[in-house]
Amino acid sequence: MTDTAGLALEATAVGRRFGARWKAPAWALRDCTFKLAAGRVCAVVGPNGAGKSTLLALAAGLLVPTEGTVTVLGTDPASARTRVGYVAQDKPLYPQLTVAETLRMGADLNPGRWDAATGERIVADGGLDPAARVRSLSGGQRTRVALALALAKRPELLLLDEPMADLDPLARHELMGVLMAQAAQHGTTIVMSSHVVAELEGSCDHLLLIGGGRVRLSGEIDDLLAAHVRVSGLAETSLDPHTVVEARTTGRQLTALVRPSGPLPESLRTSTPSLEELVLSYLRNPQAPGTTPAEHEKAAI
Amino acid sequence: MTTFALPGLPRTVLRLHRTALIVWGTFVAAVIGWLVWLNTVTADRGEREMAYCEHHETCNILTALNYSERTGYIGTLVCYSFLAVAAWAGAALIGRELESGTAKLAWTQGVTPVRWLTAKLALPALLLTLGGTALVLAFRWGWSAHRDLMGDDWTFADVFVARGPATVAYGLCALAVGTLTALLIRRTLPALGISLAAMWLLNFVLERHRGSFWPTLTRTSATRFDLQNGLWQLTKGHGADGYYVTYHPQSHFWPMHLVETGIVLAVAALATLIAFRLLPRRTV
Repeated sequence: MTDTAGLALEATAVGRRFGARWKAPAWALRDCTFKLAAGRVCAVVGPNGAGKSTLLALAAGLLVPTEGTVTVLGTDPASARTRVGYVAQDKPLYPQLTVAETLRMGADLNPGRWDAATGERIVADGGLDPAARVRSLSGGQRTRVALALALAKRPELLLLDEPMADLDPLARHELMGVLMAQAAQHGTTIVMSSHVVAELEGSCDHLLLIGGGRVRLSGEIDDLLAAHVRVSGLAETSLDPHTVVEARTTGRQLTALVRPSGPLPESLRTSTPSLEELVLSYLRNPQAPGTTPAEHEKAAI
Repeated sequence: MTTFALPGLPRTVLRLHRTALIVWGTFVAAVIGWLVWLNTVTADRGEREMAYCEHHETCNILTALNYSERTGYIGTLVCYSFLAVAAWAGAALIGRELESGTAKLAWTQGVTPVRWLTAKLALPALLLTLGGTALVLAFRWGWSAHRDLMGDDWTFADVFVARGPATVAYGLCALAVGTLTALLIRRTLPALGISLAAMWLLNFVLERHRGSFWPTLTRTSATRFDLQNGLWQLTKGHGADGYYVTYHPQSHFWPMHLVETGIVLAVAALATLIAFRLLPRRTV
């Protein structure tokens, strides 16, 4: 394997099955293949139950894949443990510890890596009392402590499962800024899952769209947007041989999101879709053929 | 205040289970303190009451009775302290961590699950051994200090355990069984109940079979007879050669006690082994 250099995360035909073998096991993730170059900020989007959390837990070394391999920072997830930060969706923290004790635990459990100043700053910026018990914090305050714990570890890869879900818009904006500053300053690769596509646009440069346990789209957001066109025209216009992701006809008017495989008919009006439009089109049409264009992967590496 | 140069992981485990540490320390200190008080303050008055009673028609032996009853309570507390350990290990030590996901928090810091479980078992094991040893030594001293005031003997179920290393072994076994139950069930309250029940059952079974852990002695006679006090009578009957009784003399205490200790420690080792074997299946 020579092409793992410079990759933060690589999944090859990864599948994870839950439930006992004799009880109709369910696949949370199946045949999942993608590569993510180091230094990227990657959004993992998909409907509820798509397998986003499973994917992040596999990358964090908390789950073992049933099939396939996950490579994290050039090694297996368990060996990369010290270099990976992870914040689970429910933000587990020890309720009996104070905020300061939680950070001290981070320092104790990450010898040689811990950046106390970063942790204390993130907590202080939220106006949290270091002497407050974790059990007395609100959901948003817990998220802040969990992020402080993950960031002060100075991870090379940061895995965040729905990190902003219970933050108010102001805190969300501020913490997103902290994350982006971390990525820019230390070259940290960030992988975060979210329902809210709008909050990812402008901060993420890589997209991984998961649906039904499989990867439907993977690539640089700019490349994915460039590969798709929103078209509108007369209903009888044929869209062959282009790949149609979503098409709607209202009266005699056709609007569609297509992935052109050549020049489009001149009678169509074209525009560039937004990230949200692109993602929603794929989510609304689970049967639409996905893409992980090879040229985008090369460009990413 | 001195700062101990403890490595990070043990320090974290102690910080997380501070309350349990304080409760255990207080329990050990309180029981030892109670024994010391009984034997230094109240025992002499009990002895005087008994001496007075030998020469008088009416007398009061309340202090002596209290002394005997309270020493009995202490034996029960020392012996069955492992039940509290089982509940704690199943619920607070491991079960709650798995149920609330905080174990994952530890495992995504720079700590592998194996190191995490090792620290979670080793530190409580050390403190249970130290505290248990202190309790046993104190109880051995207190229990034998004023035998004339006591109505029990070495064969009583709780006294039998509390007078030797079986107390420590039961504590360690409860720690291992609670941990294994929690890893299997991953929920706090069921793990608490099941590990408590499992340890109670183990103790119940061993207590029933304690008499067969060492060969018994037999005494026969042509006429009916009773054994003197201090011997543990197991069976009694009438055979071809007359009346017989099988029994354990007090000299059998240590062999029987050590066999039971060995069985309990073997169960503890087995449960620990399975717990570690189970861990990779729960995670990497």
